[in-house]
Amino acid sequence: MRKRVASILAIGLILVPFLFGAVYAKTLRIGSMSPLTGPYASDGTDIKNGALTAIEVFEEMGGIPGYDKIELMPQDTACDPRQAVAAANKLINLEVAGVIGAYCSSSTIPASDVLDEEDIIMITPASTNEKVTERGLAYMFRMCGRDDDQAPAAAKFIKEQLGGKTLFIVDDKTTYSQGLADGVAKAAKEMGMTVLAHEHVNQGDKDFSAVLTMAKKANADIFYMSLQGFSPAAMMTLQAKRLGMKSQIVTQDAMFQPRFMDVAKDAAEGVYLTFGYTDPSTPEYKAFEKRYVPKYGKIAAYATYSYDATTALLKAIKAAGTTDSAKVKAELMKLDFQGVAKNVKFRENGDSGSTYIAFKVENGKFVPYWDPEKGLIK
Amino acid sequence: MEYFIQQLINGLTLGGMYALIALGYTMVYGVIQLINFAHGEFFAAGGYAGAIALAYFAGMGYMESHPVLCLTGSFVLAMAYCAYLAIGVEKIAYKPLRKESRLSALLSALGMSIFLSNGMMLTRGVYDEVYPSELFQGGFDFGMVTISYLQITIVSLTAALLIGLNILVFKTKIGMAMRATAQDKTMSALVAIGSNRIISLTFAIGAGLAAAAGIMYGLYYGSVKYDMGFVPGIKAFAAAVLGGIGNITGAMIGGLVIGMVEIFGAGYISSEYKDVFAFIILIAVLYFKPTGIMGENIDDTRV
Repeated sequence: MRKRVASILAIGLILVPFLFGAVYAKTLRIGSMSPLTGPYASDGTDIKNGALTAIEVFEEMGGIPGYDKIELMPQDTACDPRQAVAAANKLINLEVAGVIGAYCSSSTIPASDVLDEEDIIMITPASTNEKVTERGLAYMFRMCGRDDDQAPAAAKFIKEQLGGKTLFIVDDKTTYSQGLADGVAKAAKEMGMTVLAHEHVNQGDKDFSAVLTMAKKANADIFYMSLQGFSPAAMMTLQAKRLGMKSQIVTQDAMFQPRFMDVAKDAAEGVYLTFGYTDPSTPEYKAFEKRYVPKYGKIAAYATYSYDATTALLKAIKAAGTTDSAKVKAELMKLDFQGVAKNVKFRENGDSGSTYIAFKVENGKFVPYWDPEKGLIK
Repeated sequence: MEYFIQQLINGLTLGGMYALIALGYTMVYGVIQLINFAHGEFFAAGGYAGAIALAYFAGMGYMESHPVLCLTGSFVLAMAYCAYLAIGVEKIAYKPLRKESRLSALLSALGMSIFLSNGMMLTRGVYDEVYPSELFQGGFDFGMVTISYLQITIVSLTAALLIGLNILVFKTKIGMAMRATAQDKTMSALVAIGSNRIISLTFAIGAGLAAAAGIMYGLYYGSVKYDMGFVPGIKAFAAAVLGGIGNITGAMIGGLVIGMVEIFGAGYISSEYKDVFAFIILIAVLYFKPTGIMGENIDDTRV
């Protein structure tokens, strides 16, 4: 008995420093939500890495007064609405000051409902479905663009630059991909183009030979590929080339990932896609590149947006001097700074807008190709 | 007609891969009555091993001088690696539970599946591992129909492996020992057949075939990923059940049927519900013939 008491005391003594640690070191917790496992794990990991980089930079510049440390609490959503809601609840329990995420629109929407009830700020770096900011939530912000901006831009590009008359559309039935595909189909019809077929595949599919054989038979001018991630898109592009499909492939923001070309290789050459314009010549972008690339590898679609979202949140918390959401929101609305991806300035509904331009894959790189205002970029 | 032929070739390629994976399920079930849910992960591990071997050969510069030799080497290495992996998994996760209820072994298999796929994620990362695409560029063009060299290679290699397996099981002494163990473990032990050795061998052969399918998959789809074993694993399991689980010929037929139904369902009815068609066929066949297509002579031919 005495031995047991002694050992409990010993353990207690060992734990004492941790107790003091907890009292004295004040940590600011920021949550992040993105798919860290499952088919979109690579995009989700980019979002996490972007947020980590932002915190690292912010801490080096002095951090936030009153806090010794800023800590990221990355949660896995797996692009699954149920898991996203569970992750949101977990972040509420962790008492985070704000949340960066999620990736899939279908995760962001239910998770934001949960977070909004607790008045927690959420900034999505990647969910482009228009519903995200159209539900009147007070604390929902968006760093990327919207699909109802992207779809007309894509349709305009197809008609005016590529001279397309017929389209074959494929999507994989997520809130994002189907929403965008429907938007493109609608805009294309309004502009007088014909949609020959609008087919759906499933998330997680790898074999697209059946639907591509259909597309080959239909022989449309444009094959519009709307998929949730770059990985199935790269496979589809590769299989389309092997099958000898002649239609021009046009796709969207989720494929703005250098790994798209790693997998599809020369099949990716000449593919067009629409993405929010990022100026790679700004000092902010160069500084980010210098820090991010050696640690995490190639800069992908949403790492920069995640960086800007995290920076905006931290700036607002610092300016507000508190983590009270109403005050932080007031500071967020005042922000106007040049981020890595774009100039950050929020509108009343939480959007921050994005100019969609068309990129072309040339020699394994995304080259800015066409601007809706100015036409060809050269 | 051309459209039909193109879809037929697509279905044959996919079905062949399913058949190769399905064999592992069916052989293991034949010998120890266990659904080895970790089998899909052997397929993924084979894909990774092949990617690593090919990258190594390419790095050494052998890829340009001896492409066929390098590819054969990668197949052999990946199949051997997966065979050892499967033997190890069997020794660690299934052998200690052989006397327990079947449910414990099944749960152990599920656990092993999660363990292996997460292990691959942690060691190889969440990004796709890319296969060299310079191999088998191009193909034959007959108007609307395009048959790539890659599809020809995959289909012929699958056929060769299936024939080889048939010879091994039905024409050799080892095959006879396997069939004997499958029929009656005690009795075969009495005539000096070491059942542990045969069980290990069964796992090794099944995983070797899955590894071959994994490399073909990587070549065909351009990349492999840690979670790639799950969906083909489920489909191949369905194929094994469709053909009559425990029956080798059944697994081959089942794999081809599932692949064909999936492609034709997607090509003629709706690509949205292609998985549904595969499982409708499964349910329909099992409704009328609960033992599967080849299920009646289960005691003679199962391994």
